[in-house]
Amino acid sequence: MNIELEYKPAHTLAVVDMQPGEQIRAEAGAMVSMRGDVSIQTGGPKEKRGLLKRLKRTVLSGETFFTNTFHTNQSAGRITFAPKLCGDMVVHHLSSDHELMIQGSSYVAAPDSVQLDTKWQGFRKLFSGESLFFLRAFGQGPVIINAFGAISHKDLQNETLILDTGHMVAFTSGLQYRVRKASSGWISSFLSGEGFVLELSGTGRVYMQTRNPSDYGQYVGSKLPPR
Amino acid sequence: MKSEIIDAPDFSFLRLTFQEAGETVTSESGAMVSRDAAVQMKTNMRGGVGASLKRKVLGGESMFQNTFTATEPGQHIILAPAVEGDMKEANLTEGEVWYLQRGAYVAHSGHIDINTKWGGAKGFFSGSGLFLLKLTGPGTLYYAGYGALREVSLNNEEYICDNDHVVGFTDGIQYKVEKFGGYKGLFFSGEGLITRFNGTGKVILQTRNPSSLATFLRPYVPTKNN
Repeated sequence: MNIELEYKPAHTLAVVDMQPGEQIRAEAGAMVSMRGDVSIQTGGPKEKRGLLKRLKRTVLSGETFFTNTFHTNQSAGRITFAPKLCGDMVVHHLSSDHELMIQGSSYVAAPDSVQLDTKWQGFRKLFSGESLFFLRAFGQGPVIINAFGAISHKDLQNETLILDTGHMVAFTSGLQYRVRKASSGWISSFLSGEGFVLELSGTGRVYMQTRNPSDYGQYVGSKLPPR
Repeated sequence: MKSEIIDAPDFSFLRLTFQEAGETVTSESGAMVSRDAAVQMKTNMRGGVGASLKRKVLGGESMFQNTFTATEPGQHIILAPAVEGDMKEANLTEGEVWYLQRGAYVAHSGHIDINTKWGGAKGFFSGSGLFLLKLTGPGTLYYAGYGALREVSLNNEEYICDNDHVVGFTDGIQYKVEKFGGYKGLFFSGEGLITRFNGTGKVILQTRNPSSLATFLRPYVPTKNN
C-alpha cells in the first residue's frame, strides 16, 4: 500500500494505491473516488452487530463514528480520501512501541494492520457534556489523520504542553493527559475564552490543528438565518 | 486573448489579457472581480428568455450572463468563482462536449453553446441538481471547483466517485448515480450517492465537498424561538 498526499495544504487529498488483496478502513464519508478492483463493506471489519442494534446505538448514544472497509481483490486499485472540512492531512506510522489517541473527526483511514478502538472512554469521563470523542489506534502501519487548517506537531521530551481542546488532533501513548481549566480561577478561565485545556506531559508526539472547528462553526453558523 | 490562472489551487482567479479590439469573453453573472474601465460590459440572456430560464431553473446557473468586449489591445479582466478552490481552462474543439455540475461554470470565450441536460432523477437527492450544464465547442471554457481540481483520464474503464465530488466529465463517458453500498450504506456509510462512470474520456472531481461543509455548519445555525 502506498499513500501520497496531494494538493497540500488547504485541500489535501490522500491517494492510496493498493496491491491485490489489501484492505483499508476509512471514516464513513471520506471516500472521494475508487478505481480498479475495489470492493466496499459498510461498517468496520469487526462489526458483527445487526442493523437494528447499530441503529439503536446511533440514535441513543449519538455516536456517529462509522467506518467503511475497502479491499482489493485479484488486482490493484486506487482509492482517494478527503476529510469534510478544508485542511491538511498527515500520515502517522504506528509501531508496536506506541499507540495513537485520535480526536474522532480527525481519523481518515488506516490499513487492517492497525486496530481501532472506537469505544475508548478515556475522555468521556472527563468531559461531562462536552463531546470530545477519541479513538485509540494501535498495531503497525500508517494512519492517515486530518486537521482543520494546517497540521503541526510537537515532540515532547519529558515536558508538559498545554493545548486547547479544539485544536487537538492526536497524541501518542507516551503522554499522560489531564483536562483542566485554562487558568487558575473559574472566572478568568471563562473570560479568557479558552474554557478547558488539555495538559499533556511525558515523552511523545502531539499533532495539532491551526483552526478550531467549533469556533469556526459558531462564527459562521451564527450569521446564518435561523432554521 | 491571453489567459493566466493565478494563486491556484487554493484561491485561484483568472486574468485575461485581450490581444485585440473586439475580442469577447462571457461569464457567469457575479464572476467579475475587476476590469479596465474601457472594457465594455453587456448583460444579456444568452439564447433568449427560454434558454436563460432553462439554464437558471434546470442548470442552476443564473439567467443572466455578462459579455465583456475589448475596445483596444492590452486590456485586462479578472474573473473568480464563488468558492475557494481551483480553476482550470479547457480548449474545446468543434463539436466537443463537456458536462458540468451546477456552479462549476465560470466563463468562456469562442462559440461555446450552453445548454442543459437531464442528469437523472437521483441527482435530485444529492443537492447537485437534476440537470447538468452541457457545453459544446468550439471555444475555451473556464471552470472551477471547491478545493483542488483533479482530472482523471479513463480508457474504456470504470471509475467511481462520490456524487458531491463530481465537477464534470466529457462526452464518451456514461454514468449512473447509485446508492453507496445498498440500503445499509444510506444509514451507515456516510457516503450519500456515488456516480459510476464508464467509457473513455475525462472525469473532473473536486477535493472538497460543499454539502459536507453545509452539514457541518447545520448544528451551529441558531434555531427559531417562537
